[in-house]
Amino acid sequence: MVGVAFRRLLSAIPVLLIVSLITFGLMRLIPGDPAAAIAGVSATPAQIEQLRRDLGLDQPLHLQLLDYYRGLARGDLGRSLLLGKGVFAATMERLPVTIGLSLFALAFTLLIGIASGIVAALRQNSWVDQAAMMFAMIGISVPNFFLGLLMIILFAVHLGWLPSGGYVPFGEDPVGWLRSMTMPAFSLALLQAGLLARITRSSMLEVLRQDYIRTAKAKGLPHRKVVLKHALSNALIPIVTVVGIIVSLLLSGAVVTEALFSIPGMGQLLTQAVLSRDYPMVQGGLLLVTTFLVMVNITVDTLYAVLDPRVRYE
Amino acid sequence: MKRSRLAFSILAVGLGLPAVGFAAPFQCPSRGGDIVFGQEANVNSLDQMTSTTISTRNIAMNMYESLMTRSEDNQPILELAESMEESGDGLTYTFRLRQGITFHNGKPMTSADVAASFNRYNRIGIQRSTLDNVAGWDTPDPRTFVIRMKQVQPTFIEALSSFSVPIVVIPSEHENDERQQLRPVGTGPFRLLEFVPGSHARLGRFDGYQPNTAFEQRTGFGGYRVACVDTVTFRIVTEASARVAGLETGELQAVEDVPTRSLDTLRRNSAITILPLQNWWIQIALPNTSIPPTNNLAFRRAVQAALGMEDIMDAATDGNYRLNVGFQFPGRPSYTDAGKETYNINDQARARALLRESGYRNEPIVLLTNRDYPPMYNAALVMQQQLRAVGINANLRVVDWPTSVQMSQRVNSDEWHFFHTGWGTQPALGALATMQFLVSPNAAYRPRDDRDDPEVLALWNAMNNERTAEARQAAFANMQRMVLERAYALPFGSLTKVQAVRSNVQGFVPFRIPRFSNVWVQR
Repeated sequence: MVGVAFRRLLSAIPVLLIVSLITFGLMRLIPGDPAAAIAGVSATPAQIEQLRRDLGLDQPLHLQLLDYYRGLARGDLGRSLLLGKGVFAATMERLPVTIGLSLFALAFTLLIGIASGIVAALRQNSWVDQAAMMFAMIGISVPNFFLGLLMIILFAVHLGWLPSGGYVPFGEDPVGWLRSMTMPAFSLALLQAGLLARITRSSMLEVLRQDYIRTAKAKGLPHRKVVLKHALSNALIPIVTVVGIIVSLLLSGAVVTEALFSIPGMGQLLTQAVLSRDYPMVQGGLLLVTTFLVMVNITVDTLYAVLDPRVRYE
Repeated sequence: MKRSRLAFSILAVGLGLPAVGFAAPFQCPSRGGDIVFGQEANVNSLDQMTSTTISTRNIAMNMYESLMTRSEDNQPILELAESMEESGDGLTYTFRLRQGITFHNGKPMTSADVAASFNRYNRIGIQRSTLDNVAGWDTPDPRTFVIRMKQVQPTFIEALSSFSVPIVVIPSEHENDERQQLRPVGTGPFRLLEFVPGSHARLGRFDGYQPNTAFEQRTGFGGYRVACVDTVTFRIVTEASARVAGLETGELQAVEDVPTRSLDTLRRNSAITILPLQNWWIQIALPNTSIPPTNNLAFRRAVQAALGMEDIMDAATDGNYRLNVGFQFPGRPSYTDAGKETYNINDQARARALLRESGYRNEPIVLLTNRDYPPMYNAALVMQQQLRAVGINANLRVVDWPTSVQMSQRVNSDEWHFFHTGWGTQPALGALATMQFLVSPNAAYRPRDDRDDPEVLALWNAMNNERTAEARQAAFANMQRMVLERAYALPFGSLTKVQAVRSNVQGFVPFRIPRFSNVWVQR
């Protein structure tokens, strides 16, 4: 298992190098003046020009690339043009917020997706199956932005149960965090939960038709044990694969959700950085997010080895 | 040293505006409470010296103060100074500082702090060109600050009191703070309690604040200011529907930029008061005069004649607008309707005749606009249709805001013919700040090789150098007329920005920034 993790870690290095080069190149290819974006609509051309010089944006491209890689070699991701602070520090302020939101959404996704998928598989072609799959289809079809707005109108404006937006750090007030993150996490999770429910259902159906399940039932094992121990543990392998992808989707989906619910996370930071052509922030922020996602995928790959002995032997 | 007439007029405005009669200074009808303001745009830094953004100003101007600022009707007024004298030769300005001013960290403010603030601004302030004509500054004693000019500059006080990127006064020990890293300590009625970029900034009442007793009420960015509430939180809520929802639930007590679609619902809600902020910005299109056919006056006049401003402004603003000739907001002292005959002509026959005169041969005309600011996009859309109606082959080029600015600033660019933008802060600052958009290096009509129209430049110089305010205003009126007659700019009208508060929030008057001094929560 350690070997699996180590091999994956090694293969992550070229991935990160390629990502850093692509983000550097893409940001320079996009037209638009960072100084104009940062200065805002009320700035005069002279003010924008002054800002451009102050930010060192008049340097040749190859020097900027060289500076970037020199910085990376020293572990320095650069300084945000927009925030005037280190990219690493800015990311570390925001990334935990987005990870918290994504993990909460992941909990909803797993809970709803796996439970409804199992129930639908066990009651195949019954009304329960139909209802679960209809729910999954709604989850897949409704944009999370629209769902979020509907939830705000219902739970914040009409019922007053939850705040309409804003963020409370978990460390300050766990209950406040839970209240502020419930709607965003749910609206973010529903799409992925729908997908997961469908995958879980088909995976469970496939496993439930296997001979060893029939044997387990014939041996007289309790139904619960057959389902949870023998069927689910084998059905989990494709589900775990999907969970790795779902974490990536939740992180990227957080962009819209964070904007709607005014959550100061990585999505908002990167969106603003792209719109403002904050080159160092986009380059460094994406590199850190990519690193996080690579780690998630390494964890998933390592989990295969736990769940499926064949991976270990290979 | 002889006090000049200019100095007297500033003091007269400063002392006289709210102080006429024997009215008592403002007192909070009730104290305490918290206000949460839903702000539409992110704020990245509270360093007021190095930011031109409105979102920074919204918060920072409740925390910081300057030697001078602007009153409700945009006149220069004293803020941290109790008097200002201009020498007879116009080369020296002597400021006497108010007594008893302390920073949020408890340190008394002296002229050394003012000098340090000027030093930092001169090093990294975005508008440091304000000090180009300044030879230096001295601090003869802790309450006196002297500015020495290289040459006489009759408009210096107007520039010094600008709120675009003001020279806010900071403690001298913060002089060397780097760009956007300024430690947030000012002298204003509110002090910073917490700033989480992308989320919120929370300000608290500064109990050591000394109101400016030269006034009795708040005026503009200055005046007699008192913090009545305990805290003000500026929460970043970029999504308009979320701002409205927050206002309805009472989580937000005040919001900016209420979308038109929500106004009817909010008006029916007795717990909410709608506050239109007229003259937020001037919607405008600027020709590229470095390339054909927009380098042809007859063609530009044909475009001018084809435009109907009601339709353009209605689409741009969802109906929240006022027609407005020229480059100043109606009702302001510097307002003039000079050149009004060029505005809102909407005469297709005349436009076609001018087109024939120009020799236009159906070349594609590119209207450069963006979707980041929907009013700019919508205005361009209607303009395109109006131009097509008279036979101009108008096409939209839609990019994002940073790209459109970059394209518009390229010298001799052949990528566009009309650039859509909005002027907000500069018209609010006055004629001088606005007309700088029409001379190099800012010349927004992009003359060939950036060479100004010499007659426009001559009027600009007169606006800057005439000794009397009347003569400068006359030069401005002439410049506006000339710019409009030569169709170097096509102003469409003034956009109204709608703000709203919970009805128990009293004393909130819409202005260029959300001002929270002299605002209280009705119990």
